Amino acid sequence: MKPTEMFNTFKAAPIQTIAGWQDKRFLWILMAAVSLFMVILAHSVFQIWLYMRPCEQCVYIRFAFFCMAFGGIIAAIYPKNIGLKLVGYALAFWGTIQGIGYSLKLNKIHEAAHSDNPFGVQGCNPEPTFPFHLPLDKWFPEWFKPTGDCGYDNPIIPDGVVLSNLQKTITDFYQDGWYLWPPSHFMNMAQACLITFGICLLVLAVAAACWLLTLWRKHKTHEVSPHNYSTQAR
Amino acid sequence: MYGNIAKKLVKSLALVAFMASTCFAFSEGSDYVTLKKPIPNAKNTLIKVFSYDCPFCYKYDKQVTPKVVPRLPADLQFRPFHLKTKGKYGPQGSELFAVLLVRDQKNGLKDKDLYSEKSLLKKAKMAYYNAYHDKKERWDAGPDAYLQTGLNAVGMTRAEFDKEKNDPKVKALLKEWDASYEVAKIQGVPAFVVNGKYLIMTKSITSVDSMLQLINELKSK
Repeated sequence: MKPTEMFNTFKAAPIQTIAGWQDKRFLWILMAAVSLFMVILAHSVFQIWLYMRPCEQCVYIRFAFFCMAFGGIIAAIYPKNIGLKLVGYALAFWGTIQGIGYSLKLNKIHEAAHSDNPFGVQGCNPEPTFPFHLPLDKWFPEWFKPTGDCGYDNPIIPDGVVLSNLQKTITDFYQDGWYLWPPSHFMNMAQACLITFGICLLVLAVAAACWLLTLWRKHKTHEVSPHNYSTQAR
Repeated sequence: MYGNIAKKLVKSLALVAFMASTCFAFSEGSDYVTLKKPIPNAKNTLIKVFSYDCPFCYKYDKQVTPKVVPRLPADLQFRPFHLKTKGKYGPQGSELFAVLLVRDQKNGLKDKDLYSEKSLLKKAKMAYYNAYHDKKERWDAGPDAYLQTGLNAVGMTRAEFDKEKNDPKVKALLKEWDASYEVAKIQGVPAFVVNGKYLIMTKSITSVDSMLQLINELKSK
């Protein structure tokens, strides 16, 4: 289909078009890919390469992204199957909602940690408690064991490590912690995660609403049709 | 008709005020929790569990605890517990802090003087906070380098420390401090425990005054 054609079908029937999209693999794979990208970026780039240690809330945020990734993968197996789709939606919604909660909490801690008012929040706990008491920090310590402190994500370079020029430049760039634009401390990590989860939730909600609406409409036409048949038969 | 509405309004406002006044009391679960495993021999104490490797402990030690401790009721003893399970050098930190606390006591410092300038414990603690949190020192050279930071801050030699850490009083203190872990894992550190039984929920503390009020209430529970 050409882009103009796609746009025209969308304009003619936006709800059906969106409902049709979540029967295809594309959006599910996109969601899984975005979630996995965020976790891998956090782990491989920031934690391993740039020595920025994850905190308690950070590992929970990773868990939330993994939930969304699994949801996306499961639904993408065969999105037209209602069971798989429901599992996908459940995991994805749960992940985004949990993720929003963790991000809000981390943001509060971050603000308190960087102000003169330490009240109203609790610092980090080095012993994380994951949903369902999953011992993820024992199973995958590299990914889920908090080694940093909430609100502080500055790179901490171990003695004796020789940084490459690029590593040196980037770790210097993030020396005050992770910000979307570190020189002006614009948008901390918690806020960036919050926005990501927020966008995912919005997309999910729209897709789910369109799907349910189309299902309901179909259901209504089905309810009417037997009656029509009977009048015709008479 | 307007008079009727005004009457209703006054009535409901009075009701709200009444509810607010009765709900003001602190409640279990949101302001404090009762420890399943109480800390032994802790009647009439306020225990503070802390770690050098904890930014909120630093915040509290700068802005909150020094204001709370001198205002504690006279019959409540203040007792710092260092958590040895947090931070790479938790055990070393505990040993040094225990040695210094015993020295403070020998120098005649009372529990409520532990935030005065005379306290060696305070000097070493602040030196570690400053090195770890402000200067991002991680002592990768090993435990000896870690210890040196604290020893330098209080002007103690390594030989003195090695001798004093075998003092039975220091050993007894360290043994008591082992109770810290069970407390710390509930909601992290800093953790404040009244009478060895009631753990204050740090996030519900809104000011120095509210913290003192809660401590006073839990003390006589």
